[in-house]
Amino acid sequence: MTPLGAIEASPLGEAMRTWLWLYPAVEVVHIVGIGLLFGSIAVLDLRLLGFSRAISARRLAAHVLPWTASSFLLIVPSGLAMFTAHAGEFIQSEVFIVKLLLILAAGANAALFHAVTLRTADVWDSEEVRRLPPPPSARASAAASLVLWISVIACGRLLAYF
Amino acid sequence: MKRVFLMAGLVLPLSAWGHHGWSGYDSSQALKLTGKIVASGYEHPHGHIRLEAPGKTWHVVLAPPSRMERRGLPSEMLKPGASATVEGFPNRNKAHEMRAERISIQGKTVELR
Repeated sequence: MTPLGAIEASPLGEAMRTWLWLYPAVEVVHIVGIGLLFGSIAVLDLRLLGFSRAISARRLAAHVLPWTASSFLLIVPSGLAMFTAHAGEFIQSEVFIVKLLLILAAGANAALFHAVTLRTADVWDSEEVRRLPPPPSARASAAASLVLWISVIACGRLLAYF
Repeated sequence: MKRVFLMAGLVLPLSAWGHHGWSGYDSSQALKLTGKIVASGYEHPHGHIRLEAPGKTWHVVLAPPSRMERRGLPSEMLKPGASATVEGFPNRNKAHEMRAERISIQGKTVELR
């Protein structure tokens, strides 16, 4: 049996396909996680684009990013559970591969933001200059984040239609 | 505020594009097939049967099992060997696949959409 076939034949894969309400329930968990992920990231990205400049970007980040991180506790297990139901089909789907690559890109974008742009926040997020537009690097990172995560959601939805 | 509308303008077409439903199936070509069920899966996210119709065996995509159960089509009715009639539309890219709008089995017709 292929590794993907073994995943599909696993008790979890079997339950995901045949239990009447498990799959829809897992979908709900996945969507709640997506709501938390995208909602928390979007408010920070909008701040970094230049909205709500009365609020400190760093304080906002400190408030929302733990929720962003927590959202993966909902999204990843539920996503893996749905994957086990039809692992072979998912791997063959171009939309699924694109979705995974977009998630990697969004992660790389976030890592870059933390490693570079957020390090200089003492300068551009200080009380005195906070009312000015954020630096181009912060705005570019925020725009990329919004586009990437919206594309991830679009790919997830398109999986059902392609 | 202007910028909010601008962003909404950018995002809305994307979401509309993601919501074009079952366009993978050709709704201009209605099919009605009668045959014998040779295999079936009462599975999420969609149930399915292999239907041996005259000249061709079709992979027929049905509805989520939770919906079929609610509408009176339990898994026992989809067992291989049973005769069934399905009405639906062919997949544009997969020549042997169709999506059923309704299925008639043992004299009972169940709407799947």
